[in-house]
Amino acid sequence: MRQITYKIERFDGTRKFIQEYSLVHQPGKTILWGLIAIKDTMDPTLAFTAACRSAVCGACAVRVNGQAVLACETSLDTTLDRFGDVLTLAPLQNFSVIRDLVVDWEEKSERLAAVKTWLMPQDGFSAQTGCRQTGSDFKKINTQAGCILCGACASECSKLTANSADFLEPFTYSKVWKFVADTRDQAATERIKGILDKGLWKCLHCAECITKCPKGLAPGEDIARLRRFSLRMGHDDSSGARHALAFLQDIAETGRLNETKLSMRSIGVWGSIKKLPLALRLLRRGKLNPFHLPRKVAGHDQIQVILKAVKESEQA
Amino acid sequence: MKYAFFPGCVLEGAAKENYIATTKVANALGIELVEIPGWSCCGASHVQDVDELAITALNGRNLALAEAMGLPLLTVCNTCTLMLRKAKAQLDNGQKEKVNQILAKANLHYAGNSEVTHLLWVIAGDYGLEKLKKLVRRPLTGLKVAGYYGCHLLRPPAIMDFEDYANPQSLENLIVTLGAEPVDFSAKLQCCGFHATYPAENDVIRITGRTNQSAAQAGADCIVTPCPLCQISLDINQQEGLRAVEGSRELPVLHLAQLIGLALGFSVDDLGINMLVSGREQFAARLS
Amino acid sequence: MENYDVLVIGSGGAGMRAALEAVRQKDLRVGLMTKMFPTRSATGCAQGGINGVLKNMDPDDSLEKHIFDTVKGSDYLGDQDAIEYFVRQMPDAIRELDYFGVPFSRDAEGRIAQRNFGGASSPRTCFSADVTGHVILHTLYEQCLKHGVKILTEWYLLQIVVKNGELSGVVGYDMKNGSIVPITAKAIVVATGGAGRIYWLRTTNPFTSTGDGMAACLDAGIALKDPEFIQFHPTGLADTGILMSEASRGEGGYLLNNQGERFMSRYAPEKMELATRDLVSQAIETEIKEGRGFGQGLSAYVQLDLRHLGREKILERLPQIRELAITFEQVDPIEQPIPIRPSCHYTMGGIDVVDYRTCATTVTGVYAAGEAACVSIHGANRLGGNSLADIVAFGKFAGKGAADCARQRVIAEPSWVNAAAQSWEERFSLVTCRKTGAKISDIRDRLAEIMWNNVGVFRTETEMAEASTTVDQLIQEYQTVPVPNANKVYNTTFVNYIELGSMLTVAKAVVLGALHRQESRGSHCRADFPDRDDVNFLKHTLISKRAADYNIAYRPVVVTRHQPAERKY
Repeated sequence: MRQITYKIERFDGTRKFIQEYSLVHQPGKTILWGLIAIKDTMDPTLAFTAACRSAVCGACAVRVNGQAVLACETSLDTTLDRFGDVLTLAPLQNFSVIRDLVVDWEEKSERLAAVKTWLMPQDGFSAQTGCRQTGSDFKKINTQAGCILCGACASECSKLTANSADFLEPFTYSKVWKFVADTRDQAATERIKGILDKGLWKCLHCAECITKCPKGLAPGEDIARLRRFSLRMGHDDSSGARHALAFLQDIAETGRLNETKLSMRSIGVWGSIKKLPLALRLLRRGKLNPFHLPRKVAGHDQIQVILKAVKESEQA
Repeated sequence: MKYAFFPGCVLEGAAKENYIATTKVANALGIELVEIPGWSCCGASHVQDVDELAITALNGRNLALAEAMGLPLLTVCNTCTLMLRKAKAQLDNGQKEKVNQILAKANLHYAGNSEVTHLLWVIAGDYGLEKLKKLVRRPLTGLKVAGYYGCHLLRPPAIMDFEDYANPQSLENLIVTLGAEPVDFSAKLQCCGFHATYPAENDVIRITGRTNQSAAQAGADCIVTPCPLCQISLDINQQEGLRAVEGSRELPVLHLAQLIGLALGFSVDDLGINMLVSGREQFAARLS
Repeated sequence: MENYDVLVIGSGGAGMRAALEAVRQKDLRVGLMTKMFPTRSATGCAQGGINGVLKNMDPDDSLEKHIFDTVKGSDYLGDQDAIEYFVRQMPDAIRELDYFGVPFSRDAEGRIAQRNFGGASSPRTCFSADVTGHVILHTLYEQCLKHGVKILTEWYLLQIVVKNGELSGVVGYDMKNGSIVPITAKAIVVATGGAGRIYWLRTTNPFTSTGDGMAACLDAGIALKDPEFIQFHPTGLADTGILMSEASRGEGGYLLNNQGERFMSRYAPEKMELATRDLVSQAIETEIKEGRGFGQGLSAYVQLDLRHLGREKILERLPQIRELAITFEQVDPIEQPIPIRPSCHYTMGGIDVVDYRTCATTVTGVYAAGEAACVSIHGANRLGGNSLADIVAFGKFAGKGAADCARQRVIAEPSWVNAAAQSWEERFSLVTCRKTGAKISDIRDRLAEIMWNNVGVFRTETEMAEASTTVDQLIQEYQTVPVPNANKVYNTTFVNYIELGSMLTVAKAVVLGALHRQESRGSHCRADFPDRDDVNFLKHTLISKRAADYNIAYRPVVVTRHQPAERKY
């Protein structure tokens, strides 16, 4: 009989410990099956949450060997093929743990509410008449409406792990974008203003959220959508915004990046002076050459033609 | 094997030693790299935040230039690989006609017949580690190497589908092929933070500290990464990073081409390893 | 000690809608108590849609038709005054959901799209692809955030405390803090959902649908109405019982037996696959029984074939169905038919609501809504698309009813809830100290097995009598069951123990109601009494409980315009 092992990171409210459970392998099962089998037959004290067991309620997200998944839909066999017969199960990261694999959502819901994640309908609509929206406009929000608040993206978010004080859960940005993109909503401007100082430009671009979302959302892409929208509104005065703008500016000017100018453009003279010790270090190692000013690349005229055509296409 | 080479901006600036190392290693392996004339910046995971169509079209141009050479495109940078592959995926899934109308104005055309790959994928894939093994002149015996993948060679998997993002093995296999010993460390698949260096500086410094400490505690002599951006971030922020996590041991952070170069017999100076900011003296001592 | 003017228990669609209504009364203290984070609720599993006469797809649809479809669907057991009231509210309720932000699929004019559904004479089921319940649940949660509803997340209902026929409050278990808390309340809305888990392994319901509120009400002296009417959804995945939305039939899916035959032609020649759920489930089980299914025994099934709909329609209208079939049955509906079999889906019966305008029960201060309640508008068989409709309509009425009631009442003397909480403390200590006795999961599985085999789609006197004996035996064993987990923080063992008690309490009522209803009507299909008997059974079953004794009584059905007639599809 093939034995498999669940190594579970447990917490009883005061003490953290690892407990190993050995199970007889059964083909065609899920990660959740194993948890239930442990609870039913070996250790009723094991705490985890699960409800729909069909990947729509989001209750059973856990980390398996460092990957946030929905336990109910994740094939045990595929996981064993991936990691071998010993699996490590842990609660989601970037959440407070209540007990064993159970995490606390209360603080996350407060952070959702802080950016007003609800529809603020256009004046022309009312509760009595409802709203109007075209089929194609519905499709613009359909994907984001598929979020099940499982927390996988928040668990894996590199920025939240580094520091959650100035950043929101990735699903929250997707929700904000859903409302910005919803043609029934009237508060796009207010919503964008509301997230400018809540981490809009602090995403690390690690693509963990896009990779781990079990419902096919791409919060990282939604952050990019929010950034574009904010720039169109004229909010270009943060270091992140200036940094992004500088890249396009460099490409337009020469085709390639100018590292010296990039710092000045992103964080300004004063910011760059603060970075002087680092710059000196780089200079000393020959990694920075302030006199390296890239020339225009061959075919730079093509780049200009392309950028002009892009502008025309976007305005059309 | 012959590729249209896309060096990327940092190989012209802050990581120019990797240009040298990549060229030398490719030559020694018999992989012919022909630099794409007039390539432009891939957008570095930033330009889509300003104008998505612009970067898709500009990378459409990069891809069209490689197609004109009749060669697949090769990079040595994770983010360049992702940006070019993402553009290719968008072009191949509905954007082609629109972007070709734009490219046509610059007398360019995207057909979709050049693949985008990375040096690591070529060596671990079509080129083959067995073939590489035969060329190893100075096996890196006893050297403990922490293979740090970086985000954009693995994620998102819909675009970066070379290997399992959750359990990649190509770097470890490569390290073994070179005679060195791969060490497992908790930060192996984590993000270096490079792309938020300006807006989230303190976070990036702390991440750098944690990553280096994770590798150091696993006993690594050095870190190797397929991405020059990860390399820069983990290297140049290391002093501040170590301070942030109260660590002490500096670790040299090598680019993939540099580590291969060492095993092929090139010297530290040949490969520009002496240009590292952190840990280079200890590393030179460890090698000799 | 906590206290509320209005305390809503359960945070699915009905509970959140009730809380939103109550919280409009600015001067009331409103709380929403839920055993899991709100968006985990069973409402999110509803896929196909919500019924309302918007006439977007069919200008000839009418309130009259929706009323008649619902009455006929209920096999004439629904109360016609309540059904009329409900149907008239629905168009407004759906437009309000649109205004709340529910992302509905749209028609060419930007109005809410509507589709065909089983038992409906017009396409009146509004939808959002095949995730309608999910988007309604999340939108209601957004509205709760907007209105600052105080949510007691992961608080479990242990007891409804009633003194002299009036509500005192409840006892809750604050799982995160690990404490048993007495709560006084002037009014409560019980919206704890269904009890499908009494069929543990053969249900579309989440693990949480354990009939907590039904059992608590029964224990508090409120009757359960029509508990024997359990809806078996025709299209549960064969292996797991997971739901394949009715939308799969609404969009034109075929049901095939092992001859490749669309067997519904023999059972409902006109409506075919779009007959009501009770009839389709009974047809499938008949096919299996007569050897025209695939596989054997418990793993037998028939096929749901969507292939002729084409890739595009499947991807646009039924994307979740496809994902679920691929994940849980390793079948891509674009390429292959899906193995399906009926699966326990819905409890038409529930807490006896005596005033459909307010959702009041017989106990002053206690209101009930949603699947936990029985108004009754679904009678012997609920129409697809009428459950999401039920929760938003009656959730609102219950919230209003409870708020109005709270204004009339003073807060009860706290000593009663305190005493009740104290005895729960003692019970916790007692059960967590026990060392011997049957296992919680064993009793649960044995209950499910006897319920599926003996009180399932087809029922007979002999089989149900056996079930009755077995359930009594399990209730006996439950009295000494150990709870081997003394840590009060997030003690899911203790919660599972109470849930099992609720399931046993409700299951006994189901068996009793079913045994005594000697006719076949809607979902209640008796092999030994194959016909509907309007002379003797055009009436609601009322099961009540005093201590351990169950009593059975009946109440006439309200018939206004539609005299009972033969049901044909």
